[in-house]
Amino acid sequence: MHHAEHVMGTVVSIDLADNLPAPALQAMIGDVCDWLHDVDRRFSTYRDDSEVGRLRRREIDLPDCSADMRHVLEACADLWRSTDGYFDAYAAGPLDPSGYVKGWSVEVASARLAEAGSARHCINAGGDIRARGLSGKGEPWRIGIRHPWEADKLSWVLSITDCAVATSGNYERGDHVFNPRTGSPARGLRSVTVVGPDLALADAYATAALAMGDAGLSWLAKRVADGYESAAVTDDGRAFTTAGLPAAV
Amino acid sequence: MRRSTAAAVGTLTGAALIVGVRLSVSAPAVPAAAPPAVDLAGSGQDVAPAPTKKKPADADKDDDSDKGADGGSDGGSSEGEAGGSGLKDGVYKGAAVKNPYGTIQVSIKVEGGKITAADATYPTTADSATINPPAIAALKQSTVKAQSADVDAVSGATFTSESYVKSLQAAIDEANA
Repeated sequence: MHHAEHVMGTVVSIDLADNLPAPALQAMIGDVCDWLHDVDRRFSTYRDDSEVGRLRRREIDLPDCSADMRHVLEACADLWRSTDGYFDAYAAGPLDPSGYVKGWSVEVASARLAEAGSARHCINAGGDIRARGLSGKGEPWRIGIRHPWEADKLSWVLSITDCAVATSGNYERGDHVFNPRTGSPARGLRSVTVVGPDLALADAYATAALAMGDAGLSWLAKRVADGYESAAVTDDGRAFTTAGLPAAV
Repeated sequence: MRRSTAAAVGTLTGAALIVGVRLSVSAPAVPAAAPPAVDLAGSGQDVAPAPTKKKPADADKDDDSDKGADGGSDGGSSEGEAGGSGLKDGVYKGAAVKNPYGTIQVSIKVEGGKITAADATYPTTADSATINPPAIAALKQSTVKAQSADVDAVSGATFTSESYVKSLQAAIDEANA
């Protein structure tokens, strides 16, 4: 069963491949959509009444925050340290945890699906993907990585079962990733894809590497030790992949 | 005893120099007045007095706290030492030295009056491409290729609700609707 939901400023495509009755699958999709809209309401930087908005205005303090908010803030702080400051929820000034929240919310959504009995699904949140089990064809999920210049083409095809694929790039929404050291838009890398067990981390790593520019390539190579493979394209069209990237044959 | 202390200081200094070469950075805290290096040939008799941290040897009451000679067995006049180099057998650790890349501590092993092993702990996790081998060599390089293929989903930079309609993912969703 397939569903596309407009939420969090993008579209989330949910693909359930389990052999279960349609009402059960529908209920699971409904639960995931409710969760994503709930996250959007609480963490949106565009809504004044969101928890992020109230935290920004100091109407609430950390101890008054929800457990989810405290988790997100803690994770952002951890990522700030593990990315040498290149993942920065305060890069643009006021708190903006969106770079973590989207991946995390989809990671949680996938876990909720698994708990509800779905062993085979794929969620694609505007280009960031979490998959489990096998696809409807009974094979590993085939994930295309968008070509960074040709929107209708792919630069790689991956074959995955239980893992996450996140891509960051400046080609969709313009310069929205900044190098926190210089304050200027990130330069050097056109597209960074990170593949690994957790979508929240994969997404944050991809964004951090993009912000680093060329130095992000060697930084990405070191993430292999943590279980995160990667593929990157530079501004001048060079393509780099780690040895363990699960490329489809 | 003074000889053994001085020798130990000398060996540690020598090991620090070796580490300095290995890391291609200057080891910051090496005392300038120390002898140049360990004399493995065995003629290292006239070393300068220990330049750092130790009290002069006249206060010889409680020198059990002597860190230079491991174990502090203070009966050790130099007769029993092998090779005549003045190096006592054992494993010696230098002081932990801080530099911009992290903390480094050297250790050497002396057997039969000779240094048989030297090692150093140095940071492996810090942001130090200078020390850690350039990891980029581990990446495969090519030029980006464009292909079309049948896929279940497309990963890419986040599209907006508006640009979604033009995306490959929208076409996939359409086909599965």
